[in-house]
Amino acid sequence: MKRKSIFIQFAILAISLLVASGCEKKLDELAENQTYTSGTDYTKTSDMIKPLIGIYVKLSATEWENYPLISVRGDDVNAGGLGDQQDFSETDKFKYNKDYWMYNSVWQNHYIKITNSNSAIEQILKYKEFASNKALADQYIAEVKVLRGYWLLQLSRIWGAIPIPMDPDPTTLYVAPLSTKDEVMQHISDQIDEALPFLVDLRPNERTDIPGGVTKHTALAVKALVNLELKNYQKVADATGEIIKSSKFTLEPDFYNLFKIKGKLNNENLLEMQYSDLGSGTGDNYSYLYAFFGPEGWTPKVAGAGGGWGFFEPSIKYIKFMLNRGEVTRLQTSVLFTDRGIAEIKKDPAYLNLPSWISKTTPSGDVLNDYARAMFASGKHYLPSELLTPGRTDYGTNQNMICIRYAEVLLMYAEALTQNASGSAGSADDAVNAVRNRAGLSSISGVTNAQVMDEKFAELAMEWGTRFYDMVRLGKTEELSYEGRSFATDKTFLPYPQAQVDLLPILKQN
Amino acid sequence: MKKSLPLKQVIPWAKALLLLLVLSLLETSVFGQGRTITGIVSDAQTNETLPGASVLIKGTTKGVSTGIDGKFTTTLAASENTLVVSFIGYETKEVIVGAENNLTIQLTAMRTTLDAVVVVGYGTTKVKDLTSAITTVKSADLVKTPSSQPMQGLQGKVAGLQVVANGGPGNSSTVRIRGIGYFPGVSNESPLYVVDGMFFDNIDFLNPSDITSISVLKDASALAIFGVKAASGVVLIETKSGNYDQKTEVSYEGYGGYQYAQNVVKMANAEQFTTMALESGSAADKTSIDMAMQRYGRSRVNPNVPNINTDWYNEILRPALIQNHSFNVGGGGSKAKYSIGANYFSQEGILDMKNEYQRFNLRAKVDIKATNWLTIGGNVVLSDATKYSEQAGAWNQAYFAVPILPVYDPLNTAAAPIDFANAKDIGYRDSQNPFPALTYNTDRMRINKTLANFYMEFNLIPKALTFKSSYNHSYTSLEQRVINLPYDIGQGVANLTSDVTKAFSTYSDHIWDNVLTYTKQIEKHNFTVMAGTSYRDDGYQMVRAQGEDFPTDPEQSWYITQSGTIPVAGVGDGGYRQYGLSYFGRIAYNFDNKYLLYATYRADGSSKYQEKWGYFPTLGAGWVLTEEDFLKNNSTVSFLKLRGSWGKLGNNYVQATTGALTSDVVKWPFGGVVYNGTISNSTLSSLKWELTEETNIGVTARFFKERLTADLDYFIRITKNAVIPVSVPGTRDVIIKNAGEIKNSGFELSLSWADQVTDKLSYSIGGNISTLKNEVVDLYGQPYIDGGSAEFRQRSIVGEPLMAFFGREVIGVYQNQSEIDADSVAIINGLVPGDLKYKDQNGDGIIDDDDRVVLGSYFPSLTYGINLGLTYGNFDLSVNMYGQNGNKVLNRKRGEVIWTPGLNMDADLAENRWHGEGTSDFYPSSAGLRKGWNQKMSDFFVEDGSFFRIQNVQVGYRINGKKLFGGNFPETKISFTADRPLTLFKYHGFSPEVANGIDSQTYPVPSTYTVGLNVKF
Repeated sequence: MKRKSIFIQFAILAISLLVASGCEKKLDELAENQTYTSGTDYTKTSDMIKPLIGIYVKLSATEWENYPLISVRGDDVNAGGLGDQQDFSETDKFKYNKDYWMYNSVWQNHYIKITNSNSAIEQILKYKEFASNKALADQYIAEVKVLRGYWLLQLSRIWGAIPIPMDPDPTTLYVAPLSTKDEVMQHISDQIDEALPFLVDLRPNERTDIPGGVTKHTALAVKALVNLELKNYQKVADATGEIIKSSKFTLEPDFYNLFKIKGKLNNENLLEMQYSDLGSGTGDNYSYLYAFFGPEGWTPKVAGAGGGWGFFEPSIKYIKFMLNRGEVTRLQTSVLFTDRGIAEIKKDPAYLNLPSWISKTTPSGDVLNDYARAMFASGKHYLPSELLTPGRTDYGTNQNMICIRYAEVLLMYAEALTQNASGSAGSADDAVNAVRNRAGLSSISGVTNAQVMDEKFAELAMEWGTRFYDMVRLGKTEELSYEGRSFATDKTFLPYPQAQVDLLPILKQN
Repeated sequence: MKKSLPLKQVIPWAKALLLLLVLSLLETSVFGQGRTITGIVSDAQTNETLPGASVLIKGTTKGVSTGIDGKFTTTLAASENTLVVSFIGYETKEVIVGAENNLTIQLTAMRTTLDAVVVVGYGTTKVKDLTSAITTVKSADLVKTPSSQPMQGLQGKVAGLQVVANGGPGNSSTVRIRGIGYFPGVSNESPLYVVDGMFFDNIDFLNPSDITSISVLKDASALAIFGVKAASGVVLIETKSGNYDQKTEVSYEGYGGYQYAQNVVKMANAEQFTTMALESGSAADKTSIDMAMQRYGRSRVNPNVPNINTDWYNEILRPALIQNHSFNVGGGGSKAKYSIGANYFSQEGILDMKNEYQRFNLRAKVDIKATNWLTIGGNVVLSDATKYSEQAGAWNQAYFAVPILPVYDPLNTAAAPIDFANAKDIGYRDSQNPFPALTYNTDRMRINKTLANFYMEFNLIPKALTFKSSYNHSYTSLEQRVINLPYDIGQGVANLTSDVTKAFSTYSDHIWDNVLTYTKQIEKHNFTVMAGTSYRDDGYQMVRAQGEDFPTDPEQSWYITQSGTIPVAGVGDGGYRQYGLSYFGRIAYNFDNKYLLYATYRADGSSKYQEKWGYFPTLGAGWVLTEEDFLKNNSTVSFLKLRGSWGKLGNNYVQATTGALTSDVVKWPFGGVVYNGTISNSTLSSLKWELTEETNIGVTARFFKERLTADLDYFIRITKNAVIPVSVPGTRDVIIKNAGEIKNSGFELSLSWADQVTDKLSYSIGGNISTLKNEVVDLYGQPYIDGGSAEFRQRSIVGEPLMAFFGREVIGVYQNQSEIDADSVAIINGLVPGDLKYKDQNGDGIIDDDDRVVLGSYFPSLTYGINLGLTYGNFDLSVNMYGQNGNKVLNRKRGEVIWTPGLNMDADLAENRWHGEGTSDFYPSSAGLRKGWNQKMSDFFVEDGSFFRIQNVQVGYRINGKKLFGGNFPETKISFTADRPLTLFKYHGFSPEVANGIDSQTYPVPSTYTVGLNVKF
């Protein structure tokens, strides 16, 4: 009896230990709730578009701080937002702080987009092996290359010499050499040349597979932008000329509404970041954080519409420049006024009598109240409250943000021609006047380079720091030394973010 | 056939009956008028007489104590026949007085606290055999603290244990044992809780009255047997169980009372605020003051101040109810023992909204000796709780909200359904008023936890070899419902549509343990050998969905399916399934109770990491000096043991990694149509076990017949391969790598003294003190890792504590223009009098971010507790105190001024601001507060977090032996408790007790006053 029970006990013990060790293979189970890249079925080539879509998402779903840092340093705009983000305001005044979080963040954001692009190219290549339409794979890769180039352009314009990530694995940056700004620009230009043969000859809004996607013309525009940086004006004239000659693009006659809902997938746009509330007052909303630009205090025409943070204030210098030119359409579109701002302009006796249309009420009936952080707000980042989808209240939501538009292409063409490049898409006068006429100004003839640059100032203010990069390129430091600022060429580039210097010793040498 | 009682059982009954009969006869004849009894009390072993022993007549409060010769004299009334004799250090004895009038009573020395059984992993041992640092706290000490959280009762009672209350009802406390040995953010800092063998991350589901004892395991020698998760320490919890051959004991314990906010921050009032606003030089702020005067009128006391003076903290605070009722029944026969219980706890929050916690627990435990070789048992704890969480944002909103704004504003016609005031109406950027969020938002969590286990213990060789197999399952279901009801307070501050989010999660964790234990004594050699396996299976599932625009009335309509819109982005799910397998063993050896050796080994396998197996050995040794001839039977030193241990521990709270390339699915609209895409990730994390190595040296000592006990420990704990975030250049990607090294070290000392002065009066006094030094040793070659936010930087620097506050050092305030003119820094930066003066740390004549230094750490370097106990007759008093030193708190509420100038501030800042030469050398001027220069992270925002607190005061009165309706009145105790009635500190906030050192919306810890009743029969 006793022996039997001990036998039973040992049997239980043995079984327990056996079962336990049988559990060992459970340790090799994969983690749950993940999509494993290794599990991707590359033979399902209908999915080949997905990595490309991912990169377009990276374009639109952009972090809010990128645009402010890229765009703030010109004489067209001031930081605004007084009392908040002090180092942003200091940056506007060319006092740089390498430890400021925004520098590091913008650096990281762009490098992430670039390594994601490298990764997407690798993914598309894997689909290409099985794809029946291999040209389509080449086209997708070409599109990624253009966007990758656009982001590299932004990075190098801010920081000058940078390491170029060539691999999907960002740790390869540890061994990447530092490329000078010219080398970066040349690299982008070369990449675009590689891409061009595979891209579709359409206007982005003509694309049905990805509305607003990159086309041959987008690539040419980016190529023009980088060659402008290289002062390679002939290449600028060639690239922009090709876009103009395609006759695919037109200037939106209604300049004011180009920066509103009407501007979405407009015939003027070559590249844009897209947002949508899907036409519904509730539910999913894909939005940019326009509140950054919005007035801090306002009485919207449609009650309940939210205001903003009061950053990104058009400069008085710009306003006076526009008033001097007798501009109405473009000034009214670009600047929202407050009473305090109007009073500030009038402090200059030369501007005591302002045109009657200058008022705290926008053309769309929203009223700006005085607020401490800024005197003006950017009109190009303003969506009238009456254009909000009912039910939505976030400032500016559902509005797209245009990255490159045809007016800039025309003006780059004119700029190149006035820098002694030859063009086959008409004269510099033609290009400049097209832009002027749309803005309600009369034609001029025999345009000089200075006139083109003024035209760019008037047309492209508050857009992507174009003014700042133009003035830096032309060495016009006196233009940037305004309203108490003092710019010198050694202030062209921001210092590398300290966190990146700590990681990449190569950045220390500079 | 009629059954008759066996003779064996009849005899005792007969004897008792006879005795009673004799006694009752005696009562009438002999003791009619009472009788005088004399006696002598002595030690049963040595026959030494015991002076000062208490001799009490049972059922009364009458008593005497023995004289210097151990003798006593007392008088018994007719109805009295039993003496209760007690003496400190001896077991209490009841003596039934027979015919003899002169008694000799011998007391047996108590099996000392050194013989007390301590629970260790997968077994038990005696205190005197320990080579490691373990502190056990009994239930009686836990239940003194009125709290939903059992760990709260341990605050200040265990050296090396930091408990930080998280004030909201039902929120679990932050618990740290000997600092933290991992990088914050990559791991869970809580220790491992082992409740009757089951592993938990927290024990917020247990009622303190469910618990018999809590043991805190501190050093590697004790912890390593739990290898897998032991690196942050282990807390062993035993729920109540019955005893064999114990009569049924029914008890009720309950208390009820109120909680009040304490140390409420005094805010600037309307007049102070107005002064600050006008001094700021900001036109916008002046405008707001004017608008407030226009809207609400002018104060009749000071016509330049608006006629509103809202004390926002006063508005959002309320006294709150707390109550607890628990019933426990326990007992056992020769073959089975049992314990069952039920308890109800409810607590309101002191925040004036639907903020409360209720919990109903049921519990049953049974152990059955099925045969002489098999014991079977099981245990179920069922906990059903509902928690309405606080809107934590209210705590800082009430700080910022300007005092010139009322709660309600009848002029605010845009507001609906309630006319809450909106600060935008008087020109401020935000609405400020915390009440819309408090009124229209609720966050309800239903928490159901079940812990169940079943075990079979086979006695293979009697008293030598046992095999125990136990299966534990814990199942948790969390059901969260977040409701945002629609409201509008004008100026775009509105939630136009109702919004419901529901999240359902379940955790299902299983542990199957098999343990073989062998005990053997060969002459003076004592062995205990244990070997076992443990298999774990942890599963988690979560589903979440959201609905907008549902009918808001009645509450029964608050469902996603009743909603007009169900956003796709609101739908999500998640889950994991993780497996673990372990093999472990232990050898405990002692020679003649003099030399102790202890070793354990554990091999842990986990599916969580790429390197599957980790190995965790430990060694401990002890030397009991009082067993040596030169100290044996020493009159002063009753017990002295030196002990040391070393071991390795694992930490698997570190998040799992995929160890493979993964892709994210992303969605975005192009041309207004949503497309799906993928973004593939090219950085790869691969992890192995985090390994902690700990060395502990300690002394356990008892003096003066154990009246004085002392425990001293010194430890060094080094976490090697600490998982740290390693930044990938050029990306925001941070991969986690086993590449850091973190060191914690410190001293822990506990002392206690207990004595019985007279038969009625006894007292005890105890204290503990611990030091902690936390230091980063290596960060994979990175000089530092940044944490916190950019504006309020925290940095982990090699050689400094983890996540130290990092910023500039204020050395004063510029007092006048000549001081400015003489300072190039002031000139370059355009400073004016009233601006802060920073220390130029690197001496380059420029003040910039290179002048930042470590401003302190949120870890206290010193914590201490003091416990006092006093018993006099039926009264008892206990007082616990707790304090900490050396920790810093980031006053993030003051820091808010960085983003939004013009908001309110505390009265101290308003009163002591710089406003003219000599007015302040630390606070900037009102204008200065809004200036970027003064808003840099500095020790202006980082304050001393030291505090001292009277933790708990309890007065009890015991009613014993009273008659009621002719029957015995049950043993009853009435008590009054003041929990945390007083806290002293310098910090400018509600409480410096902030788990992560950042005080932005810390729930204040209330003072609680309760009346309690315990009844036992």
